[in-house]
Amino acid sequence: MRAYLLRRLLHAVFVVWGVVTVVFFLVRLTGDPAALLVDATATREEVARARHALGLDRPLLVQYGDFLRSAPRGDFGLSIRERRPAMRMVLEHFWPATAQLALAAILLAVVVPVPLGVVAATHRNGWLDHLSRLGSLFVQSMPSFWLGLMLILLFAVALGGLLPAYGSGTLRHLILPALTLAAAPLAQNVRLIRAGMLEVLQDDYVRTARAKGLSERGVVYRHALRNAAVPFLTVSGLSLGFMLSGTIVIETVFSWPGLGRLIVQAVPGRDFPVIQAAVFLFGVLFVAVNLVVDVLHGLLDPRARVL
Amino acid sequence: MTRLPRILPWTALMTLAVLLPAAAAAPPASVDGSPIDPDAELVVALPDDTTNLDPRIGMGSIRSTYIRQVFESLVDVDRDGKPAPGLARSWKPVNDLTWEFALRRGVSFHDGEPFNADTVLFNLDRMFRRNLERWGVKDVAAGTAFDKVYPFVTRWEKVDDFTVRVHTSEPAANLWDVIGREPLVPRAWTIKNGVEGLNEKPVGTGPWKLVEWKRKDHMTFERHDGYWGTTGFTRRLRLQVIPEAAARIAALRAGQVHVVDAVPPLDAEVLGRTSGIRVVSAVQKLGCRLYLNGRGKDAYESGGRDGAFGDARVRMALNLAVNREAIIAKIFHGLALANASPVATVAYGYAAQPPYAFDPARARALLAEAGVTAARPLTLQLLLPAKHYGQAFDETVAAVVEMLKGVGVQVTVQTVDFGTLLQTLTKGTLPPNGGFAACRTSNNLDADDFVRDWASTTLVNWTPYPPELLGLYQATRRQVDPSKRLAALAELQQKVREWAPVVSLYQEKKAYAHAARVLQFVPTQELNMDFRGVALRR
Repeated sequence: MRAYLLRRLLHAVFVVWGVVTVVFFLVRLTGDPAALLVDATATREEVARARHALGLDRPLLVQYGDFLRSAPRGDFGLSIRERRPAMRMVLEHFWPATAQLALAAILLAVVVPVPLGVVAATHRNGWLDHLSRLGSLFVQSMPSFWLGLMLILLFAVALGGLLPAYGSGTLRHLILPALTLAAAPLAQNVRLIRAGMLEVLQDDYVRTARAKGLSERGVVYRHALRNAAVPFLTVSGLSLGFMLSGTIVIETVFSWPGLGRLIVQAVPGRDFPVIQAAVFLFGVLFVAVNLVVDVLHGLLDPRARVL
Repeated sequence: MTRLPRILPWTALMTLAVLLPAAAAAPPASVDGSPIDPDAELVVALPDDTTNLDPRIGMGSIRSTYIRQVFESLVDVDRDGKPAPGLARSWKPVNDLTWEFALRRGVSFHDGEPFNADTVLFNLDRMFRRNLERWGVKDVAAGTAFDKVYPFVTRWEKVDDFTVRVHTSEPAANLWDVIGREPLVPRAWTIKNGVEGLNEKPVGTGPWKLVEWKRKDHMTFERHDGYWGTTGFTRRLRLQVIPEAAARIAALRAGQVHVVDAVPPLDAEVLGRTSGIRVVSAVQKLGCRLYLNGRGKDAYESGGRDGAFGDARVRMALNLAVNREAIIAKIFHGLALANASPVATVAYGYAAQPPYAFDPARARALLAEAGVTAARPLTLQLLLPAKHYGQAFDETVAAVVEMLKGVGVQVTVQTVDFGTLLQTLTKGTLPPNGGFAACRTSNNLDADDFVRDWASTTLVNWTPYPPELLGLYQATRRQVDPSKRLAALAELQQKVREWAPVVSLYQEKKAYAHAARVLQFVPTQELNMDFRGVALRR
């Protein structure tokens, strides 16, 4: 298990390095932030001066070398737009706003589908199953920004301000954005659990368990669900990436002051340090969660450890 | 040289106005016969936050709304958009080359630092980037490079604690506007706290004190009870960022915000019919245009070819190909206007010009006259910074492209982000048959800010003035006799209209929506929203 863990850890470091390297060079292909810092009367010399002040006139490999030296210390330089440390800005927006939102959404997307998927599978072709499948399809088909606006209109306007239309800070503020962010992965997970359960409920060991006189509840939740959960676990890890990228849209719709909105503004503003710091953080989180999932997967299914 | 002094027409009125006592007054118990809640918080939904608060970094529209709550200028603007005494009680030219500003007495910054002539001198140093080492203040990448744009300003001096003179090397009719509209920061406080302090938690003389700024979320202000003029009639003001227009409107309908900025034209029409909500609008200085490459081959990275739009007949033809009435009716639902003058209709010195007719036949004839034929068609590679100026702008450009195609122009549109457009313009790599769609506005009150566009090589100047127009422009700048200057400005506007440096599209009318319990909210024609005297009914 230790060798497996070490291998996955090395793999994770390599992935994070690869992601930040690709982003480092990609953002520089998008253009020159110096033009955004000067006024409309600027001459080429002034633009060049602004570029020099930002250190962007140095050879690309020199810039990359500096980046590799400072990034592991969390030093991504100063934001081009705000002239504040980029990683500080990213962390300010990530914690607590984006972290709260993503955790709440993950909780919804992981916990709620379990009973729904199980009920749908155990009542196959019944009205509960049909309702669950139709509902999942419907929710998965809706663009999240549209769903968010509809929820605002329903809960903040039509129901007389039952929930706030914007902002953050309280549990009431969290409900609508978390629900919107969780909607698509939640629906997907319901279908995944249902399919997994349908498969394992046909297996011999389930039949054996029933023949031994175990209660149906015990058979379903103690034996079948454990095996059906393996693919669900893997997909849940991957869906974290979806959640993090989804915050970009959801935070805009709900005026949630998180990392997503910071990125939305950093990209057109060519704020390289902020983009790099944000991608680094997203990369580390994504890789860390998937590392945990891999380890859990290895614990649940020893065959995975040799892969 | 013209003899002075000839005081601008409103100057005398202003001087009289400021002789009235300038004492801070508590909010009244009622407004328009309705009892108000002086301890309430006014919540205003805006589409964006600002990245910093130092006025020197720039005064773009959203920034302006944040910055002008805290900071004030020498010259203020009244509710009709006319210049009014701000931190200066009056201003006047004392000779051909000198302007004098008489400062308001008894004004303090929010931290108690007194406002006086030293404050103004310090700010002039910052504006023109002089003596920064002496003050120990960092230079910043500025929105307006005063030293470059107004090189004729030579020096400034303190006459007494409340009088400042600014000297120029040539007569400068609009100096009151150039200097007067820049928000002023405290001297001692800035030296002590630096530019970082200004950007994070500044103190000004304005009607609102900044108490909290949660970036990308909201900024909260408290009424400055020591304010010299009419203060806000609520205890607090919260500028809440809600990027999505639909979400801003939903928040208003849910009663969670009181005022909404930047209501899209279609929504304005619907909201106007909703009970409990009022929609108000104001003409803005924002003018949107197609800029065309009419530069000579030596003025850009041309590859040895002149810009394809150097011929005024071609540019006029393109103007005649655009059906502005249809655009304003169908896309803007009336929330825009056509303006054939290069100057915004709400700027001082604007002279109304005959609109460009929608006349495709005449447009084709002009193109033929300019040598455009089927064998030698006119092509236009248009850069469109999509999603930068809003949906209505993007729709307008798409419509205009089809209209241009209607008169035989072969248009290709390249959608770019705004940064890429700026980069192209900075590098001067617009192709010879290139153009771009963009809007320009102004932080100033005088027409000069608009007619200066074609006087020197800048990012937006791709059709420089020919010598005759350049001479006329320079004459408007130097003419200090108000009536003669207005006449010169009118003549210049008429000639620029005929010369047609750009394809004029529309001038914006901005719509705001507010709850019916909001009293005395008047949209300004300036870049900022003004909440002085705005109250909430109890």
